[in-house]
Amino acid sequence: MSSHIIDRPRNRFIDPKVLIRIQNMELLARTVVEGFVTGLHQSPYLGFSVDFAEYRQYRPGDEIRRIDWNVYGRSDKLFVKLFEGETNTRVMILLDMSGSMNYGSSDVKKSDYAKMLASCLTYFAYHQRDAVGILTFDEGVRNHIPASRRTGQLHTLLHQIEHAVPAKGTEFKKPLHFAAEVLSRRGIIILISDFYDDPANILAGLKILKAKGNDIMAFHIMDDFELTFPFEDMAQFEDMETADKLHVIPEYLRTQYLNVIGNHIEALRKGMNAVQIDYTLMNTSRPLDAGLFSYLAARAHTV
Amino acid sequence: MNFLNPFFLIGASVLALPVLIHLVRRERSEVVPFSSLMFLLKIPKRMIRQQMLKNLLLMALRLLLIALLVGVFARPYLVQSATPNGPQIGQGRGFVMLLDNSYSMRYGQNFDKMKSEALSRINALSGGDRMAIVSFNDSATVLAPATNDKGKLRAAVDVLEPTSLGTRYFDAFSVADRLLSQFGGQQQNLIVISDFQRTGWNRSSRENVIGHDVKVETVSVGVADSTNVGIDNVSVDSTSFVRTYAGRIVARIHNYRRDKEVSVPVALLINDKEEARKTVVVPPSGTALAEFAGFDLALGFAKGKIKIMADDPLPLDNEFVFGIERREKLNVLILDAGRPKQSFHLKAALTAGEDLPFGVKVGNASAVTIEELGSQDIVIFNDVPRLSDAVRSRMIDARKSGQGQLVVLGKEADLGWWEAVNGFPAKPVRKVNVATERGKTVVYLTSYDKNHGIFKPFQGTTRLGLNTAQFFSYTELQPKPGAQVVANFDNGAPALVESPVEDRGMMVFASSLDTLWNDLPFKPSFVLFVHQTARYLARYNAVKAWYTMGEGIPIVGTLDGGVPRVVNPSGTQESVGEGELKSGEQRFFSPEAPGFYELRVGRDSRVLAINPPANEGNLEMMVPEDLIASVQSTEAEERNTGTFTTDDKLEYARRQMGWWYLLMIALIAGIVELYIANSRPQSVRRVG
Repeated sequence: MSSHIIDRPRNRFIDPKVLIRIQNMELLARTVVEGFVTGLHQSPYLGFSVDFAEYRQYRPGDEIRRIDWNVYGRSDKLFVKLFEGETNTRVMILLDMSGSMNYGSSDVKKSDYAKMLASCLTYFAYHQRDAVGILTFDEGVRNHIPASRRTGQLHTLLHQIEHAVPAKGTEFKKPLHFAAEVLSRRGIIILISDFYDDPANILAGLKILKAKGNDIMAFHIMDDFELTFPFEDMAQFEDMETADKLHVIPEYLRTQYLNVIGNHIEALRKGMNAVQIDYTLMNTSRPLDAGLFSYLAARAHTV
Repeated sequence: MNFLNPFFLIGASVLALPVLIHLVRRERSEVVPFSSLMFLLKIPKRMIRQQMLKNLLLMALRLLLIALLVGVFARPYLVQSATPNGPQIGQGRGFVMLLDNSYSMRYGQNFDKMKSEALSRINALSGGDRMAIVSFNDSATVLAPATNDKGKLRAAVDVLEPTSLGTRYFDAFSVADRLLSQFGGQQQNLIVISDFQRTGWNRSSRENVIGHDVKVETVSVGVADSTNVGIDNVSVDSTSFVRTYAGRIVARIHNYRRDKEVSVPVALLINDKEEARKTVVVPPSGTALAEFAGFDLALGFAKGKIKIMADDPLPLDNEFVFGIERREKLNVLILDAGRPKQSFHLKAALTAGEDLPFGVKVGNASAVTIEELGSQDIVIFNDVPRLSDAVRSRMIDARKSGQGQLVVLGKEADLGWWEAVNGFPAKPVRKVNVATERGKTVVYLTSYDKNHGIFKPFQGTTRLGLNTAQFFSYTELQPKPGAQVVANFDNGAPALVESPVEDRGMMVFASSLDTLWNDLPFKPSFVLFVHQTARYLARYNAVKAWYTMGEGIPIVGTLDGGVPRVVNPSGTQESVGEGELKSGEQRFFSPEAPGFYELRVGRDSRVLAINPPANEGNLEMMVPEDLIASVQSTEAEERNTGTFTTDDKLEYARRQMGWWYLLMIALIAGIVELYIANSRPQSVRRVG
């Protein structure tokens, strides 16, 4: 077990192959996040509180319980208290559960890795008092739990994540448009996917979300074999989304494949950077720290 | 091209591995689930094709590399030197066709089949091919030098006729080797069309004359089981001195059939007249004898023939010719001084047997008449002091009429008188007593002309050596110009002198022929010496009863010499060799057809009976491959002959340089392979 603990500073998290053995998503998320937080040491991002921030004159519609009756007693005017806690953001996780996410060259499938990442971010965000929601999708929206901080939300989300099963094809247009419609308040949108779609389609949907003031983080989940194409033997490759088959001589196609997928990734990176979307390519054979760091960076920007 | 280490070529089987692996892997193509094919489908087909071509090229290069390395270890070498200015490989092939026209090819349709096979091979020549044609029997003849003119080649075959000569393969192969060498770098081919008669090959003369790189084709037109019956020998005494032939003529009939015996009538013909006939039964693969005797002969030469009435496909050996000469005995007159037993040994030698062709008469020289002298074939003046002047004056005339004269100068001879004899070949100087004048006991007759007609029989024998006789005294002679000294004593003094060419017929012996001056009569060689001298002087040559085709028949120059001529069986006369045949000289005549030939040298004339070689009737075949294996060298034999000159060694080394070139090509192929294998499209970059 200890052999999977990576000691180097950049890889000081638990190997995904070990994490995959933890069946309970909450336990998994706590293990990862607490380990991550412990290692941060005096992180500047831990200053959240419900401390008083300012007074504002009462306006019809404000909750009566928020009226500061002491001030009313002294000044005979109605003011409501505003606390910093109310500046916490809303985090919506868009989790791709299409068929292609079921691929994995090792024990860790892309969907597993994506679910671990989603769980960790959910757990992390929830414990920072952010309202957290999730939207799973494939060709369309499969499930949607609005962001909330109510009690039991965390369990609901983690349960949803745990039981999400990859299936069908990938389609970004519908899910992203749906998200744009349902997300009335701006917040952080975390998109976890292998992005098996035309970069133009993906970027078109993301731009709408971005236009509504959201901070978007895109986690591109890729298997190591997808990135290196180390196949040797001639074989029939079967598309996990469409079940189409293709006779492939890997040594003939390797170079061209790496070219094509490299171009795809580069197009995504450039396109997202152009609209201030954080793009992170994640190899399922590597620990989750890159995802968490990206989230923290985005959270700081939002706060 | 060939290889020094051909077993390394087994390594070439490695070439099959990549192909096998490819096929096996193709069969085992598995289904691999993959996230999405969208990126694979985006790859342009052109790039895949380029990659396939590249990989095919790489595989070809790697296979080439393996093949070249295998070739390097196998050590290739060129089997033929490529002459810079000569014809090169690829410019056509060079053929030498050996056609057997020996006597045995007359069997049945063998010769026609041979010509047919030859023409078919000429017709099969392609444009750049050249062919030379050689016919062979007991020797080889180039019928057509190397040419690509099919018309000339066909014409050479068309005019070819079977001979009556024997078969000797070796000469044919020697000529073929010489002709093949003219083809230089061309592929060399040898075609042998023959009945492959076993008797034509002398195994003891095995020698590799055909190079190992010559491609040999053998075409056998012979028959496995011949039905030939022939006469393979006739034993006959060639000379008879009596009217009724006293000897026996024995003919050996050979049945070459293996399956059954044959009954053959055998006839004896003398001068084409049948004298006797017998029937013999010859067992399978066996012989039977037919004897004939008791027939009469006229004086002179008779043409004899044994004939069998056998119906077989080879009629030529059904007749066998021979010659018999009935002649009178030679008249020999011995004249002496009347001393007791002076001519005892001489007469005894000349009359030692009844069969000897000498009629000897001894007389006193003082009583001889001119008539008596003139009627003799040979006159021996055995230590005679002198003759009457009348007789002396007629001596030269007698010689001109063919008489032979031997003058023995011993104790009694009047040297001055004999010196005055017309045509005497030497000047008798004096009589020498060896013991008193030369300081030693005796002299020996040690030196003589071995090619002279008298001394030929002494060659190759030690028992009949003249050099054992001791000479106590001799007459010192000074040969006259033109005279020939045919024997000398060991001190250099002439012992036997022959008259000059223009006046042949007289010989002078410088010692006595009794025991007074020497012990020669006590020696075994004495009888032979006397016989030979008498025969030589009488121009007597015992003629063989028959000769065989291909045998060199010796013609010895007689006393009066002359241009030798022969009249062949068809009646045509031709000379043998060029120029006159001098006395004692020898020349050989090779007849070209069987039958009777008349040989004429000056006034001398005799008839020769010529038969085809008897062993040609034996048509037993040998395996052609065995014959070729006997004359064709292997590569190892050529290497190990040790007869290479420096140039040969350099050439041989140059021809073995093939491995070096292959290694260089392999190196270049390896570099190209590395370059292609490591070259990448410019747009490739790493992902992740």
